[in-house]
Amino acid sequence: MTTALADLRRYRQFYLFIAPFFILFAVFGLYPLLFSLYLSFVKWDGLTPMHWVGLGNFRRMLEDDLLWRSLQNTAIIGLLYVPPMMILAFAFAQLLNAQWLKFKAFYRAALFVPCVTPMVVIALVFSLIFSSEKGVLNYVLALLHLPSIGWLTSEQWSKVSVSILVVWRWTGYNMILMLAGLQGISPEYYEAADVDGAGAWHKMTRITLPLMRPTFRFCGLLSLLGTLYMFDEVFVLTKGGGPGTSSLNFGMYLFNLSFSDFKFGYASCVAYSVAIVVFIATLIVNRFNRDEDAAPKRGRLGRA
Amino acid sequence: MIAERTTKPSTEPLTPAVSTSTRRSRIRVERALAYVGLTICAVIFIFPLFWLLVSAFKTPSQIFANPPVWMPHPLSTGNFTELWREANPLRAFVNSVVISAGSVFLTLFLCSLAGYAFAKFPEAPGHKWLYGFVLGTMMIPSAVTLIPSFLVLVKLHWVNTYLAMIVPGAVGAFGIFWMRQYIAAHVPDDLIAAARIDGCGEFGIYLRVVLPIVRPALAALGIMQLIGSWNNLMWAFVVLRTKDMFTLPIVIYLLQGEMRTPYGMLMAGGLLTTLPLVIAFLIFQKQFIAGITAGAVKE
Repeated sequence: MTTALADLRRYRQFYLFIAPFFILFAVFGLYPLLFSLYLSFVKWDGLTPMHWVGLGNFRRMLEDDLLWRSLQNTAIIGLLYVPPMMILAFAFAQLLNAQWLKFKAFYRAALFVPCVTPMVVIALVFSLIFSSEKGVLNYVLALLHLPSIGWLTSEQWSKVSVSILVVWRWTGYNMILMLAGLQGISPEYYEAADVDGAGAWHKMTRITLPLMRPTFRFCGLLSLLGTLYMFDEVFVLTKGGGPGTSSLNFGMYLFNLSFSDFKFGYASCVAYSVAIVVFIATLIVNRFNRDEDAAPKRGRLGRA
Repeated sequence: MIAERTTKPSTEPLTPAVSTSTRRSRIRVERALAYVGLTICAVIFIFPLFWLLVSAFKTPSQIFANPPVWMPHPLSTGNFTELWREANPLRAFVNSVVISAGSVFLTLFLCSLAGYAFAKFPEAPGHKWLYGFVLGTMMIPSAVTLIPSFLVLVKLHWVNTYLAMIVPGAVGAFGIFWMRQYIAAHVPDDLIAAARIDGCGEFGIYLRVVLPIVRPALAALGIMQLIGSWNNLMWAFVVLRTKDMFTLPIVIYLLQGEMRTPYGMLMAGGLLTTLPLVIAFLIFQKQFIAGITAGAVKE
């Protein structure tokens, strides 16, 4: 016991140096996490006394059409933008990784610079570009003899507009992640494939794509969370999910529930439930993939 | 610099191939197509920023002109005078600078300190467990803790203060992880041992030995924190209440009228908000990209 105490004293600097994190986490992480769990079982507007409602909030979720609408919108927006974004990001990464490409620094900067821009500003620029009668995008469509589109005024197109904005903003980010993934693949695989006379197609399908799977999965997870909790894009571009509720995603819905409707109890319940579902889904996906990632590597080495 | 470069790559590979073999000429065509495609994409990706820049210098009628005005002539500065009349962009700029600078400074200090501790005291009791705990906190989505965090700020009387914007996000698991990795790989144990023999205290070692070596890692983390903090809209919207405290993103958001959106003024303010970040990015590009890739490796 005394040695343990002596150890603690000997390493007091260590504990001192990491203490700020734990103090801040206790106040702005752990306490909110527990308090939020408690709030999930009460009805509270932040002013009047709390009412214990037990599982009432959870029951209410099942009948909350707007919640399901927002989750549905989130899924549709995700399906609209994730595939094109991933394909673009992968193509860019593949090109930037090629030895023959010149002006790499310029291309990388141009494709990546959207990721540092303030969303509130960019969403306003896009609302100019998307403007129905005077926007540049409809002007270009007219030049191509295509009908003009109510990008932000029609319920069918608002999700597409949000998706375009997200693709513009996040492709560069995924490109960099994929570039790092590509550079992590040992050149020996490709050299061995060259010896065997494998073509570009075989190198892509047998070496690159399988070895990139962890990167793809990481990008996919980031996109899933990003779409779910997206806020600035919807808040500004479609004025909080409009027209109607056509582009209302989960993050925007949750924000309204918390800071416009002040339903602190119910909002906590919804946030908790969705976070837990996402967490479990992530665990399951990772579990399934871990075995698959490990297995084919050996087989491929043998073949190549 | 950007404009003169864009046209070059697309034309260069199109010059006739010297090689006679069809295979080599096919590769040339493929590469030329790749340059054309990449250049078109690069132009599309830069376009919104270009549009922001030129729209800031347009008159209101030019902003909605059909066909669009690609380059206003003469440049109008009316949007900026209107912005200065309607809002106080200088004050917002100062608020944004104070909040971002405070946030970057505090993050760099606390994360590097904790990173040093986790990198160089592996034998301290509980080290492994504590570090695992730190990494585990990365899994908590901020949406779950948003309301209670706000309530904590109310209790602390921090609503509408700089502290509310700086302190809650000051030290995160990613920053500690990032600094730990770098310190473990780049600061030799011998150097620390030598400093200790010379009678340097642990904090002195951190300050005089560790910090100078880890400057590149600090730059990467700093620029990431700067971008997150400068662009923050949601948290600022929740905790900042009065005009004199507003940051640039809030000012811009609130300038949108209920009926009419004053785009000219918004583009002028938007340019002021965007330019510092784009410049910071162009200077620290390399470090920033290194930081992002490190985030992926943790998986």
